[in-house]
Amino acid sequence: MKDVKIAQIPDIEVDPVTLDIIEGALKNARHEMDAVLFRTAMSPVIREQHDEFPMITDPLGRMVVGQFGSYISEMMETYPEPVEPGDVILTNDPYKCGGAISHVNDWLVLVPIFFEEELIGWSSMFGHMMDMGGPLPGSLPTGAKTIYGEAMRIPPVKIFRKGEPVNDVINMILNNVRLPDMNRADLMGIVAGCRTAEKRVHEICERFGKSTYLATCKALLDRTYKAMAQLILQNIPEEPQSFEDWVDDDGLGHGPYKMKLTIWREGNHAFFDWSGTDPQAMGPINFYLNEGMFKMFIGIYLIMVFDPQILFNDGFYPLLHVIIPDGSLLHPKFPAALGCRTHALTRLFDVLGGTLARKSPEHTTAAGYGTSPYMLYSGWDRNGDFYYLMEISYGGIPGRPIGDGMDGHSWWPLFENIPTEYLEAYYPVRIDSYTTITDSGGAGFHRGGNGIEKLYVFLEPGEISIHDDRWLTYPWGILGGLPGKRSEKILRRIDGTEERLPSKCDEVRVQAGDVLVYRTAGGGGWKDPLDRPVERVEADVDKGLVSREKAESDYGVLVGDATGTEKLRKAMRAKRGEVKDFDLGPPLEEILATCEAETSLQPPVAPEPLSWAPMETGEQALRRVREQDQREASEPA
Amino acid sequence: MAYRLGVDVGGTFTDLMLAHDKTEEVFRVKTPSTPADPSEGVLIGVRRILKESGVSAAELDYVMHGTTVATNAVLEAKGARVGLITTKGFGQILHLARSQTPGPLAGWMIMIKPDPPAALEDTREADERMDAKGNVVDALNEKQVQALIEDLIESGVESLTVSLINSYANPAHERRIKELLTESHPDFPVTISSDVLPEFREYERTLTACMNSYVRPKVAGYIKNLESSLEDLGVSCPVNILRSDAGLMSLSLTQEKPVYGILSGPAGGVAGAIAVATRAGFDDILTFDMGGTSTDVALCENGRPTIARETELGHFRVKVPSVNVHSVGAGGGSIAHVPEITKALRVGPESAGADPGPACYGKGGDAPTVTDANVVVGHLPPSLIGGEMQLDVEAAKTAVAKIGEALGLDVHQAAQGILDIVNENMAGALRLVSVQKGYDPRDFALIAFGGAGPMHANAVAAIMGSFPVLVPPGPGLLCAEGDLVADFREEFAQTYIRTIDRAEAEEVVSTLRALGEDARGWLEREGIAADRQSVDYSVDMRYYRQGYEIPVTVSIEDLEKNGLELLAERFNEIHEQYYGYRMPAECEMVNLRAVGVGRVAHPQRPEAEQIGDADASAAIIDEHKVYFEGDWLPTQIYDRAKLQTGNKIEGPAVIAEYDSTTVVLDGYSAEVDQYLNILINPNRPNRPNS
Repeated sequence: MKDVKIAQIPDIEVDPVTLDIIEGALKNARHEMDAVLFRTAMSPVIREQHDEFPMITDPLGRMVVGQFGSYISEMMETYPEPVEPGDVILTNDPYKCGGAISHVNDWLVLVPIFFEEELIGWSSMFGHMMDMGGPLPGSLPTGAKTIYGEAMRIPPVKIFRKGEPVNDVINMILNNVRLPDMNRADLMGIVAGCRTAEKRVHEICERFGKSTYLATCKALLDRTYKAMAQLILQNIPEEPQSFEDWVDDDGLGHGPYKMKLTIWREGNHAFFDWSGTDPQAMGPINFYLNEGMFKMFIGIYLIMVFDPQILFNDGFYPLLHVIIPDGSLLHPKFPAALGCRTHALTRLFDVLGGTLARKSPEHTTAAGYGTSPYMLYSGWDRNGDFYYLMEISYGGIPGRPIGDGMDGHSWWPLFENIPTEYLEAYYPVRIDSYTTITDSGGAGFHRGGNGIEKLYVFLEPGEISIHDDRWLTYPWGILGGLPGKRSEKILRRIDGTEERLPSKCDEVRVQAGDVLVYRTAGGGGWKDPLDRPVERVEADVDKGLVSREKAESDYGVLVGDATGTEKLRKAMRAKRGEVKDFDLGPPLEEILATCEAETSLQPPVAPEPLSWAPMETGEQALRRVREQDQREASEPA
Repeated sequence: MAYRLGVDVGGTFTDLMLAHDKTEEVFRVKTPSTPADPSEGVLIGVRRILKESGVSAAELDYVMHGTTVATNAVLEAKGARVGLITTKGFGQILHLARSQTPGPLAGWMIMIKPDPPAALEDTREADERMDAKGNVVDALNEKQVQALIEDLIESGVESLTVSLINSYANPAHERRIKELLTESHPDFPVTISSDVLPEFREYERTLTACMNSYVRPKVAGYIKNLESSLEDLGVSCPVNILRSDAGLMSLSLTQEKPVYGILSGPAGGVAGAIAVATRAGFDDILTFDMGGTSTDVALCENGRPTIARETELGHFRVKVPSVNVHSVGAGGGSIAHVPEITKALRVGPESAGADPGPACYGKGGDAPTVTDANVVVGHLPPSLIGGEMQLDVEAAKTAVAKIGEALGLDVHQAAQGILDIVNENMAGALRLVSVQKGYDPRDFALIAFGGAGPMHANAVAAIMGSFPVLVPPGPGLLCAEGDLVADFREEFAQTYIRTIDRAEAEEVVSTLRALGEDARGWLEREGIAADRQSVDYSVDMRYYRQGYEIPVTVSIEDLEKNGLELLAERFNEIHEQYYGYRMPAECEMVNLRAVGVGRVAHPQRPEAEQIGDADASAAIIDEHKVYFEGDWLPTQIYDRAKLQTGNKIEGPAVIAEYDSTTVVLDGYSAEVDQYLNILINPNRPNRPNS
């Protein structure tokens, strides 16, 4: 990005009241971005399910408010031309923005904010598009072997210049997608959201002056830096702690893929090292993890676990150091396929939670349903009209320090389910049942949430795709809590036959009258189920969320029999002995050995290394990060 | 027989206003509320106002009543035990809700899930199914349903809801279940979802219907008490209840659909503010009702409130038409604090409540509240009018000084900081209902009421550019006035999902006509005179498959003349106003609606007879100093009761009355109009950006 006058951040004090007023105004602007998009977007994924993320940055591209880490400085470093007021930049290429977005479905929009002819910040937002072209509706083929097999990539391009739409570019993009009207509406909603933020930032500058605004942005970043420094000192141990977990398979029959994290502290700096994670996969489950994004995840996690009142932003980034070996599942080399990265993305939080739990187990949660399960259904109806439904499903929230995990709720914030009446009004489908699965939540002092069971009756011939995980490994329980149940998908054909579908599959033909039984995983339990108050176990049985059998086998509760319960619990305690810190279910070898018998699916096999993508060793990666830190420390800020 | 009585029950006071239809007689009484049985307080008030006015109970034409019985039942989780019958496969509809967890990322860790209005163990699934077009997929299994009904009633539920999938498209099964229940249990309260909210989206409809069942026995009990006590007093005229959309409904409808009155309280405030403002000549207003623990704001255009299709109550979003009031959890009792880890100045959401209250009340509270900050800077004089309460200035200073220490500010700067933050929060709320909807707040007057509204209104208006600020006399409670001027209102709607190009204008017109007939029939049954009846029509519209609808008002005549394109054009205009652009996409209708309105005569308010001059010095009762941007300015304190029409007051000034205090800032001046409203304007025109 050349020839742009970037505003200098003045070295002035802002009085604390003004600081808080501007903080409030920025927070409001960020919520207004959401509100504008929700009301104008067309696709159910954004509109009903809220798969979108906003932010506002300072002149250097550091997020001051928002929900995701910044990426702008990295992305604009190589942008070939100047940006001007009224410009809007669009990209969907994870490889062109350092993984800020991690699959081509996410459309990322950037709006530079100018004031008095200087660049004073950016507003930015990305949202999940229903379709981005490519071989399959949804643009998430489970069998893709490179990103070329997924969909069109848009490098950072201007779609508005000085406020005027660049129609050639917009039309070229929309010419490649299956639902151009929907993409256009969603895109314009995102642009409108970013423009709203721009307007609000202008108002703040007019009211308080540009210098005050810029100094406030810095002060807000500093505030978070200081708060986070304390959290790190209190909660990250000096001696390294590790935890590992798995993504079950890559959609091509390989797996499971290990993700391993080691955490340690040096002074008030924390190190997060992914060495030991498996090499990148051939299938599209690679997750191109942006380091800034991961720092944001860590920050959010620490803040939520330990002090939810703190405003989080990029201010604490210099305190965190992230090591991800190049060529690994979390930093794949181009052109690795990335479409189905949601499994590794979610597993990352399981691993992060598990690692931090080793130091402060009382504060952390078990593992949840562990991904964003998708169901896609498309075809041509009897009138010859193309239909295409994509639905994100939810599952069991883990048992938590504050209480039970919710049954069938979204792990992602603010996502919502699609109303059955909406589905039936617009798509050739009937939902025969939508409920949570009794006993699927892991037992615990605080129970894991139950997974979801949804019965789709297809009313037209078409094709379906499924994206899920945790069909092989278990959502683990913590501190004596037991694991949740695994996911499964069953297709009941109209001819009476029944087949178990893989957790990740595409192009499954269905006929009118076929029924898909879609079951997601439960959440793991938190702490010892034998300590759970009897009346709460009995209430769950009353509600049908836990069966009498499970009440007895996992909680030691004989419904309505207090003395029997006491006796049973005593015997179970004696037999069991000490509780496990983590209960991941049976050992992996056993899970693989019993896979076919238990799931009627073939177990995944260990992948051959990809010759074109050799992985950096852990030592090399650590050295690279330390050298980079030193360079940055020696440069003037 | 020519009097109308407005009665509004608030948290602290019950407010009554008695007006003659033709003459300009108005009487007003305020008595303490009786939360255990609010009808007691009402009765005391009615007895008093009749005695003081010399009007007999037989002379009353109408009683209009705003009540928070339903609201409180929800907020205090003290409603009925509700049984729910839903479609097979959907028994966990309320348990699953919309599956939402709060933001930001990992917000699920700290989410507390509220208990739904109907418990899972009180929910049963009926063997039946409709499809989205209203065709029967599985016939209703009446035998099975009868067993469910018996089972639920035997288990002890007090109120029943029936909400079936796709009942918005065909309510036959819901209606049949209601019949079955009524046959076997004639008096058992039952709510069917297609009656309460005949719109699609099953969770919202079920929740709203269950909320109705949840508050129904409480409201019915209250109404029974009220009716019999009023009868004992000799009141024989109809009693009507204020709905959340500021319309009136009869007692019998209230007993059936109490959920429509769930926000009766704030609706009364807004209706009252509109009445006061239009009389003073202001049709476009922002209402600003700031109380002890919360503040309600609303935007009203052309003398009418904007109506939202849903409202938030406690943890739930209930889909009933409501005055579009935005509520913020901050008021005079909100506590300021400085969190250790961030050193930020925060105001609220914790509140000192009524007990112990702000530090300055001297009742043992030591937390620094917004009220204490007002005392420290001198906006609130140490002795309140009437001499009932002496404020403890030192206690307020000690409390606020703690904030100063934490921030490195002196006590006055800290107090000013607390006020700046809270005023900014208020402006944020006002921005939400104005700027974010495409309105320019500078085109609106700000109507300030509630105990703390008039104290903050000038500062908030300065941020928004909304002048004049209008402070009516007795601004502590405007609701009874709102009750008095409310019109009868009831909606008749039908879901009709069709894009403009796939629909026939004739079909739309005939459906609207049929809904209009329903509305007329209702107005007749309510006994509204023909010349006071009207029916308004609207269509909820959106771009094809968008998630949110915008109501577009239209007349049958225009629709017949111009066809459905007119709807699309109006929708596009509104969309552009709200969101700044229109789309080349298809426009889609979602709900057709007729609203029956029965207008009531508005009481005349007397103009003040005595026209005073600009000199207000006769009303000065004291002088003290007020802190303003680092300086102490000499400030007159006025007694509002002594102000006369035409009086002018230069800021800074403090105007005190029995239930509120008005602050006029330096650089602004106030004038008293012919209705004794205080109008505050800037001395120099200011049009800040908003």
